[in-house]
Amino acid sequence: MSDGLKIVVLIKQVPDTSSAAGVNPDGTVDRARAKKMMNPFDKFALQKALESRRDHGGEIVAISMGPPPAIEVLNEALEYGADKGYLLSDRRLAASDTLATAYALFKTIEWIGGVDLVFTGLQTTDGDTAQTGPQIAERMGLAQVTYTETMKITGRTIRASRIIDGGLQHVELQMPALITVANSASKLEYKTFANVYKFKELARDPKALEGRVRAIDLDVIGANAARVGLVGSPTVVGKTWKLGEKGGTCKIFKGDAPAHEAQLLAGALAADGQGMEELLK
Amino acid sequence: MNDFGDIAVIADQIQNDIRPVTFELLGAARELAGKLNVKVRAIVMGHQLGSIPTTLIHSGADEVYVVDQPELAEYTTLPYRRAAISVIDSFDRVPHIVLCGATTLGRDLAPRIAAHYEVGLTADCTELDIGEYEHKGKADPAKVGMYHNCLYAIRPSFGESLKARIIGPWKNPQMATARTGALIPCKPDTSRTGKIIPVKVDFKPDDFRVKVIETVRKVSSGADLLKAKIIVSGGFGLGGPEGFDTVRDLASIFKESAVGSSRKAVDAGWIPYDHQVGQTGKTVRPEVYIALGISGAIQHRVGMSNSRVIIAVNKDEEAPIFQFAHYGIISDLFEVAPLLKKEFQKSLAAAGAAR
Ligand SMILES: Cc1cc2nc3c(=O)[nH]c(=O)nc-3n(C[C@H](O)[C@H](O)[C@H](O)COP(=O)(O)OP(=O)(O)OC[C@H]3O[C@@H](n4cnc5c(N)ncnc54)[C@H](O)[C@@H]3O)c2cc1C
Ligand SMILES: Nc1ncnc2c1ncn2[C@@H]1O[C@H](COP(=O)(O)O)[C@@H](O)[C@H]1O
Repeated sequence: MSDGLKIVVLIKQVPDTSSAAGVNPDGTVDRARAKKMMNPFDKFALQKALESRRDHGGEIVAISMGPPPAIEVLNEALEYGADKGYLLSDRRLAASDTLATAYALFKTIEWIGGVDLVFTGLQTTDGDTAQTGPQIAERMGLAQVTYTETMKITGRTIRASRIIDGGLQHVELQMPALITVANSASKLEYKTFANVYKFKELARDPKALEGRVRAIDLDVIGANAARVGLVGSPTVVGKTWKLGEKGGTCKIFKGDAPAHEAQLLAGALAADGQGMEELLK
Repeated sequence: MNDFGDIAVIADQIQNDIRPVTFELLGAARELAGKLNVKVRAIVMGHQLGSIPTTLIHSGADEVYVVDQPELAEYTTLPYRRAAISVIDSFDRVPHIVLCGATTLGRDLAPRIAAHYEVGLTADCTELDIGEYEHKGKADPAKVGMYHNCLYAIRPSFGESLKARIIGPWKNPQMATARTGALIPCKPDTSRTGKIIPVKVDFKPDDFRVKVIETVRKVSSGADLLKAKIIVSGGFGLGGPEGFDTVRDLASIFKESAVGSSRKAVDAGWIPYDHQVGQTGKTVRPEVYIALGISGAIQHRVGMSNSRVIIAVNKDEEAPIFQFAHYGIISDLFEVAPLLKKEFQKSLAAAGAAR
């Protein structure tokens, strides 16, 4: 095709749990106060999108669903080379579970239309389900490759390697397809100087950026509000509680003679009936 | 007999290698089935499955639905999806619960099945239970009410050191995937009997859009992480990729051992991702877990805290790992690891002499 690929990449904004901001003393996260970041897995998805466009031309549309501040991750995606961004933001989306999220994102992709490739991260660090991608594929009737490590496109044919338990599976399929990208995929190079530079150049001329990142709502994409949010989600969080601390039961050996400590530890194991003889070669 | 459906377990199988999570799911399903007074139905898909269906009965299934067709010799999403849905549709009643492994297979397949039926799916559970739930939400009056015999899908809620109970009693099947190593299998019993029910599936040409060119499974020298009895893991305290030589050296004296890693060591490129233990790696439950130079962050802990015995070596006595390890040495791992190796070998010699 002369005008290249139409590529969608799904990017979520998540709390940055490595930052102390918004982390309560008891370890819980206050989502409102927490520092936010691009879901780390989605950077690998973005990288695959950038690689596909580099080799085959076309357009990358980044989509995120979330509250208004999530527009930041779309700006970030543009800075790294995406062409356009849509933020699906609507109060009625609050408390959507993966089925509802997948429906809303599916409607957004359908609204964009004519998409050849959809990339998602393997999973998010907050929702952490790895379900959204396959659930979108199901709605779109698309073939999918999950846990993708490497991929190569020739014409309309995709060759991909996906991680399976204890190995790799090499597969071949035709576009359109949905690809979820593993975080073990190649080293991240998406932050190329050229991309960032181009963005900075663009950013000097507000007109050039105009309309590149746009907020949309359920009405724009023609989604059924009854299928999203609390009403459209088949699951709810019934209850949460703190992980029990087992603290204080550890037998600690400490001193200046590691040989002695190792001996004490082995002795304690044996005394506690935890001897490891039967496990030794 | 109850008026609600049975519990279906989708067997996790790669090239006729039944993955351990299958037995764990069957074990949990038996418990749940006992509480609901329903049957456990296993669904197994593949080709030339041989004695696998019988093994599933020995491991807790009352009925095994078998789709044994050449199209299923290798796992690909769409044919397995079609087969699973055909089997579930063939049931006399909608299953109350459907369980899958939170493996590369289950996490690929389960969301498609859940989206097809438009039902809830809770990912990566570490516990499953049955209980009641009262929904009081004002925003969704249609859901309000008291519900009994709900699936409690319990999973860690991350970065937040919390556990969450996810509930979705409004529509069956209630679905969940469970992590390998989290649930307890029941003891295999070769005297258990059950029904084996073959199901023939009509595929559509569209199901074969993805072709498998090759499946490469690494035949590792020892057992893999999920099967290992002893795991020796290394973290950022190893200082570099060569640090893993020390880890491997200690692991080498044990039968059925494997080498694990924290994410930080994986991210540093010291060891491949498939060794990673934790939230975004594997959940393991070996007899013994030895952590060398691992601080014990919550995301690591959730992947290994169910190990029977946890031994930690860390030079920082404040390291969180000492809050949940059973034995610890506060010292330099490079000094301690070879000494531990010597001690363990001595125990072996002593045990041999005593015999
Ligand atoms: C969303 C998310 C998902 C994550 N998923 C995972 C996951 O799946 N698995 C995982 O492991 N982590 C995961 N992490 C990362 C996790 O938070 C920690 O950063 C990581 O586990 C730390 O690895 P570490 O213990 O090796 O490194 P560190 O925390 O740096 O600890 C190194 C330890 O080595 C000790 N040490 C140093 N030198 C020596 C020596 N010579 N002898 C003895 N001790 C020494 C130090 O005292 C220190 O305690 C995740 C994080 C996030 C935010
Ligand atoms: N709210 C969202 N906005 C955009 N993309 C999302 C959203 N939620 C999930 N995704 C995509 O789906 C992937 C899997 O997410 P999850 O199912 O939450 O683990 C992520 O890596 C994203 O690519």
